[in-house]
Amino acid sequence: MRALVSWLQDFVEIPESPAQLAAALTLAGMAVDTVETVDGEAVLELDITSNRPDAANHLGLAREIAAIFGRPLKRPKIELVEDVRPAADFARIEIDAEDLCARYVGRVLLGVEVKPSPDWLRRRLELCGTRSINNIADLTNYVLLECGHPTHAFDLNTLNDRRIVVRRAAAGEAMRTLDGLERKLTPEDLVIADAYHPVALAGIMGGLESEISDSTRDVLIEAAWFEPGPVRRTSRRLSLHTEASYRFARGADIEAAPWAADRIAALLGRLSPGAVLQGRLDVYPRRREALRVDLRADRFRRVIGVDLSVDSMRAVLERLDFHCFYAGGETLSVEIPSHRLDVEREIDLIEEVARVHGYDHVPSTLPTIGRPLRPAPHVAEEGLVRETLRALGYDETIGYAFQSAEEAEMFGAWPAIPLRNPFSELAAVMRTSSAPTMLQAIAHNVHRNETNVKLAELGRLYRRDHDDFSEPPVLTLGATGDVRPADLREPAKELDFYDLKADVEALLRRFDLAQIQFDDQDTPAHYIGGCSARVQTERGTVAYLGEVDPQITEKRKIRQPVFLAEIFLDKLYEAGLRRPQHRDLPKAPSVYRDFSLLVPEGIPFGEIRTAIGVMEHLISLEPMEIFRGKQVTEGHYSLLLRARWQQGDQTFTDEQVNAYAEQLTGALDRKLNIQLRG
Amino acid sequence: MSFDEKAARPIAELVAAGESVDALYAELLRAFETERGGVRSDDALKTFRDRWLGRKNGLLSATNDQWLKLAPRELKPQVGKLQNETRKRVEGDLASLQETLAAAGRKRKAIDVTLPGPRRDLGARHPVRLVLEECIEIFGSLGYSVAEGPEIEKFFYNFEALNFPPDHPAVDEMDTLFVTDDTLLRTHTSPNQIRIMEAIEPPLRYVVHGKVYRNDAPDATHSPMFHQLEVFAVSESTTLGDLKGTLEYFAERFFGKGTKTRLRPSFFPFTEPSAEMDVTCPFCAGRGCRICKQTGWIEVLGCGMIDPNVLRSAGLDPDRYQGFAAGFGLDRFAMLKYDINDISLLYNGDVRFLRQFR
Repeated sequence: MRALVSWLQDFVEIPESPAQLAAALTLAGMAVDTVETVDGEAVLELDITSNRPDAANHLGLAREIAAIFGRPLKRPKIELVEDVRPAADFARIEIDAEDLCARYVGRVLLGVEVKPSPDWLRRRLELCGTRSINNIADLTNYVLLECGHPTHAFDLNTLNDRRIVVRRAAAGEAMRTLDGLERKLTPEDLVIADAYHPVALAGIMGGLESEISDSTRDVLIEAAWFEPGPVRRTSRRLSLHTEASYRFARGADIEAAPWAADRIAALLGRLSPGAVLQGRLDVYPRRREALRVDLRADRFRRVIGVDLSVDSMRAVLERLDFHCFYAGGETLSVEIPSHRLDVEREIDLIEEVARVHGYDHVPSTLPTIGRPLRPAPHVAEEGLVRETLRALGYDETIGYAFQSAEEAEMFGAWPAIPLRNPFSELAAVMRTSSAPTMLQAIAHNVHRNETNVKLAELGRLYRRDHDDFSEPPVLTLGATGDVRPADLREPAKELDFYDLKADVEALLRRFDLAQIQFDDQDTPAHYIGGCSARVQTERGTVAYLGEVDPQITEKRKIRQPVFLAEIFLDKLYEAGLRRPQHRDLPKAPSVYRDFSLLVPEGIPFGEIRTAIGVMEHLISLEPMEIFRGKQVTEGHYSLLLRARWQQGDQTFTDEQVNAYAEQLTGALDRKLNIQLRG
Repeated sequence: MSFDEKAARPIAELVAAGESVDALYAELLRAFETERGGVRSDDALKTFRDRWLGRKNGLLSATNDQWLKLAPRELKPQVGKLQNETRKRVEGDLASLQETLAAAGRKRKAIDVTLPGPRRDLGARHPVRLVLEECIEIFGSLGYSVAEGPEIEKFFYNFEALNFPPDHPAVDEMDTLFVTDDTLLRTHTSPNQIRIMEAIEPPLRYVVHGKVYRNDAPDATHSPMFHQLEVFAVSESTTLGDLKGTLEYFAERFFGKGTKTRLRPSFFPFTEPSAEMDVTCPFCAGRGCRICKQTGWIEVLGCGMIDPNVLRSAGLDPDRYQGFAAGFGLDRFAMLKYDINDISLLYNGDVRFLRQFR
């Protein structure tokens, strides 16, 4: 809201500069965003929080200023000269829907002259950002800016039977609002009607037909109080947000209604000829009950941590129009003023006192430590995963948790959880696979000529089992392009399956897994069968990795091989981290033998390793060279295999190593028909 | 007759054939010097040493046996002296030759040290992670535990238990992504206040962080998914002063020494009293600049004393327990700290962006 310093000065003395005033208001919770000088006038732009509609007007703001600086508030005096004719003879007000309208005040003015407003009025409105219309409409706006209470002026002679009926709209009823739009209404909506038709949307906007016009002579001023909820709902449904609906939706001051009606009537007497008829028409079926709340001074001190006397607390509250009574001991019984709908509990009073006393006067302390801290679950595991990824050269990215229903269908292993109100079809469900997320990131880079990419994403997948939702953590690696760029010494090396496998193995080695087996069975359809692997452990399948089906990458305009790994971290976390354990260092060196083997095609290395199995003192089996060619017997390939043995403190004899070698070749011959090359 | 042959004959025979002792030793030394010139490697040195000083077949062993030992009495002093001098000379020369060769072996050809080494980059850390880890470390030093909580959350935990009135604007489908009527994507990390208070009796002190969601289409300033961090502390005596002290400590650690803070009263459903914290702009030290819009202050977080209704929702007696909570956006902090002006950079995986954080 905009506030004029000169207008505030009508109600409270302000010797401070506008900047000083802004700082003081901000620290008391009335955030001043900007201070400007417009046409010689200091204008504050404020951001008043939604719980304080009472302060979103000049008088309310002046009350805050008076409280902050401890100065008296000067309320405007209403000097009303009433005609002898009673208003009740000229108009009637009925409230049908008492649950939605707790009070309706009317003032009747006869013989007024509708004309442009005087300069002082136009100027104030325009500086506050309100367009001037005519003297009557302007006055309703002026009083709104002054005291915050919305009012409305009807052309009395357009009202059938000169009657006001506050009622729910009938089903199928419609009316044309001031903005010229036809509004279809429902019984949820509260309307102000005359004897037959709606003439205003209660608390939101007047009707076109009862609008004040140049020919208006007699006027009914409305100052009412409507329930916030229905106003908010109607205004939202019709997308019709006005100054009035803003205020009623947040809660207006029911006791301010008569004041606002009188204020308009009194001001109009100065701007136009005419008579204010005698008496307010005040229908008030649901009287506000006075609310009293106890404030215990020790409670204040305990919560805020400031040693304030009960008298100081009382002084602050009184300045804000709260009436306080001593209720024994150090307890105040506080009567809540009708404009403070936000205050209904002791804690609200504590806030009021603390706020006006000033948070900057609260001494800073640190809480004492009560108990040892608990680290997040799997924080160590996650930390080591990140450390490993960083060492392996993966840049960490973060991807959206949503995907399209098609993506979920195509990539996921279970039904996706749809969002009821997605912002886009591309983000219609919670992801069931992280593969499309990663592919999108890779495509983003490749399309920008960044063709060498290694990305890692730690996120979650989302799954529903009946009423339970689970969010298993997943690590996704995406890699494409060169694993090493060309340099002075070596040509570029294009990333292949084994580079990615090496990274996956490095990660898996950090966890306490006894068996880690790669095979090419049952990999998801987005990988190329035969060029992708499943990783199985004693905890089940922990990962998939491999080259992505080119059909999928081409669709994303990626024209180079892309490799993905999806690692199911929950399984790894269950296994826990491998705990380093020292063993005595060997005193004797290891020995190795190389075997040149003739392997029938179709036998993968994994089978050879399994066939050799566990052998005494055998510490490693490394494939050194694989060769296919004319020199090799048809239907076979040649494998150079290096086996290495080691024992604690003894050197092997030749006989021992020969025996091991025979055992090894014997097993291969027997189980897989693999011979040594001649 | 070569000197090798001469060395294998008794000296008396050679003298008888007209050789002089002096000339014989002089010839030996000349031969040594000639051969020495051809020694340029460790292997050659070894062969050379064996040839001259070898215990069995070395030349000087031969002259020792044939010339010195078999020398007639009258020649013995002269031969003895010359044999001794020659051996010393050979030994000395061989030692210095060995040193020369060793020195040559240690010598390196100069290389161009300005050529680049082959690039080996560590992976980049995500700026949101950097900020998160820094925050966890700072609050960890104050004894805060860490938790994350579910992203698919119950309406109750996200709104109702946090004292949101049923018709609060945030509850609307315009703002919140719903899964079912009573399940949604959490809009903040605050549901964990309730979850943790339900599970653990105070005193407690927690950092909760993770992804949160809003119904916003992504653009430079909006993201449907972002990250929040929330701290809260509950005990029988936690005060607003404690909140202030904690946040001041945090601000100085995170935004830099000398950072000043101010708490402005504000309004949130789940805290009472509520406040927003501003810090003196870290870019201009409060003098006013583009980033703080010339105000010298930057709003960084919302906080307050946990509303009694929230404590009650979590099953705690608000007359006995009290506490504070503060929450902020990690994305915003990352954007502030690293001067990032487009939030979509945090989520599109662009390596040109990410690699700035290696």
